This record gives sequence, structure tokens and C-alpha cells, in this order.
Amino acid sequence: MSKSRIARRVAAAAVALTFLVGVSDLTAQFQPPGALGALAPENLAKPRPKPPFDLTGTWLHGGGPDNGFRFTPPPGLKLTPEAQVHYDAARKAQSEGKVYRDDIGQCWPAGLPVIMTRVWPIAMIQLPTAIYMISEFMNSLRVVYLDGRPHTDPDIAVPSFNGESIGRWEGDTLVIDTKYFVPDHHWIDSGIPGSDALHIVERIKLIDQGKTLSIEYAFTDPKSWEGTWNITKRWRRVDERDIAEVSCLPDLNDHMPTTHSDANVR
Amino acid sequence: MRNLLAGSSLLIALFIAGSAYAHHSGAGVDRTKTVTVEGIVKQFRWANPHSWLEIEVPNGKGSTDIWNLEMTSPAFLVRAGWKSTSIKAGDKVKAVARPFRNGDPGGIFVSVTLPDGKVLGEQATQPAYLPVP
Repeated sequence: MSKSRIARRVAAAAVALTFLVGVSDLTAQFQPPGALGALAPENLAKPRPKPPFDLTGTWLHGGGPDNGFRFTPPPGLKLTPEAQVHYDAARKAQSEGKVYRDDIGQCWPAGLPVIMTRVWPIAMIQLPTAIYMISEFMNSLRVVYLDGRPHTDPDIAVPSFNGESIGRWEGDTLVIDTKYFVPDHHWIDSGIPGSDALHIVERIKLIDQGKTLSIEYAFTDPKSWEGTWNITKRWRRVDERDIAEVSCLPDLNDHMPTTHSDANVR
Repeated sequence: MRNLLAGSSLLIALFIAGSAYAHHSGAGVDRTKTVTVEGIVKQFRWANPHSWLEIEVPNGKGSTDIWNLEMTSPAFLVRAGWKSTSIKAGDKVKAVARPFRNGDPGGIFVSVTLPDGKVLGEQATQPAYLPVP
């Protein structure tokens, strides 16, 4: 075979390889080429240490002392100038009996962390490779990967309202690291925006003989506030409940005057 | 017919804040008052995340206003004795609601008296869930 013919074949192979790698990248947004999905039998069957607890069940954030459904900021939390504008506008609206940018009422997803405390049950299904959390509210899906995969490369990660969650076991605690959030229409509390720089670390424990789920949150978001915002919430097992289909629909809101009255400040 | 009744318990307000408003804010609603209206049911929708009730209410001007009452989810209504067939278009009812501050007809549903005199509210006789300790 001549040198020029070999060179042409090498070039053609390089082009084909580049094409194949490129296609693989496009079709494996959250997994490198060749990696197994969380539900692949081969992945599920891999030997792993026995987890300290199983979250499988239906959970409801039920209130109680120091356990409100809102993520009220801690005293002294210093907002960035950009976030302060929203916060001041929300307080002004509140003083006038109005609400500022109630995006959930306009059918935007609640997003993490608010979706966890919407006073609707959350179905959790724990597998060796992942935990699937489905909130009854809007049937919002959250997947926490436990199979050792790293966060997606930021250059290809798609931002979302619940972010990308990677979990790991530390003793009796499940630690979940979540990032890659949307940059807008996402609020931690009224007038406190979560930006695309939001980073959430959750430390989850089962307490009260497995009947209560405790999550210690640590929020950082340098675009919205300084430092770390810590808060703890608790959930109760509700074994008598299942979750149903719940959708926010335009024709539903047509009959919900509170979602389009003049009390809504956009 | 429209009678303004003052006052409500904090417990009821907290219940509403924790259930009926799980989808959206209730800003614009005067939680310190209730209003009672009588009229003919135009529509009732049994749906998630909220049910709703439309009533045609005589406005004293020779016509009717449509009162749109926002309700909680069927999961809570069932615990308060509701069925999807509890109320239907054409029923003559008396309804109690927390009204809008701006005077628009409608508000947050509190209870309804059905043609047979039965009263249905939104609260279960037993708490649906115990608070987390």
C-alpha cells in the first residue's frame, strides 16, 4: 500500500472517530460514552457497601415548631445588590397586601429547595444507584445519583429547576451535592432569587426510628447572598398516602383569580 | 345576597396557608373576613392541584355576577366528606368564602350549604397529618 493511500485511510479513520465521539457526547449528556445508566441491571448489580438506611417511602413536610414550609433567610443574611432589589420589592408588595413574582402560581416549577416543602407528599424510591424523588406537586422529578458518577461537565450540563444531584454516603448520613440551576424564575423565598450559581449541600438522616427524615441544608449563591445559609427541615412518613398526577394548567389558573389578580406584582 | 361576617380563627388561617395556597400565593384575599353568597352553581371542577366552584350570584342590578371560589385539592376535600358528585351545575347553594380585598366577586372557599341542607367545608374532622416533631 502506498504512503499516500495509508495517509488517506488514517485521515478517513480520524474523521470517522471524531464523528462517533461527537455523536456519543451529544447522546450522553449526563454520562460519559459507554457508562451505564442508573437503571441498567449491570449497574444495579455492582457490589456496593450496604447503605445505612433506605428512604423508599412517601414523605410529607408537615410543619411543627421551627419547621415551617418556607425557607426563611437567617437573621443578618447579607444579600447582593442585585438580590436586594428583588427582596425590597417583595417586602413593598407584602406591605401592600400583594405578592411579588409568584412564579409558582404562574406554573413555573418550584425548583429545589422549595419543591421539597410544598405541603404535598414526595414519593422516594431508593435503588443502589440512585434515589428517585417525585413530588406530588407538579409531579416534579428529582434524581439523586449514587453510582459514583461525577457532576456533568459544566460546558454541557443543562440547567434545571431541581439541579443535578450527586449523592454519597458518609457514615449514617447521605450527603447530596446539587448544582446547575436555572438562572431565572427560581426563588428560595419570596424576593430571594436562586441564580445559576446556587449550590446546595444536603445532609440527610433518618431519625425517630426511621419515621422522620431530617435534612440539613447549606445554601451558597454568590450572585444572591454572601456566605452560607444553613437551615434544617423535617419530614414524616405518610404510609397511607400515594401521589397522584398534579399539573398546573392555564385553564386551571383561569379559575384561580388569585393567580392573575392585581395583587400579583410581576 | 351578601353578608359580611368578620373574624376567623388563626387555626383556620394556618390551615389555608398550608394547603389551599400550596400552589400559589393567596395575596389579595382578606383573611379577616368571610362573605356569604347565594346563587346557582355554574361549574364545579374536581381537580388537582385545586378544585374550584363557580356560582352565579344575583348582584342586585338585575343581572348576576360569577363568583369564582378557589378550593383546596381533592385529597383534602375527600377527608372533609366531599365527593366529585357532591355538587353539580344548577344546584342552588349558599357559599361562604374569604373575599378579595379589591371587591372582585370571588375568593377562597370556606364552606357550602347544599340544596339538601348538608354543609361541606374544607377541613377534615381529624387532622390529615400530624405535625412533624
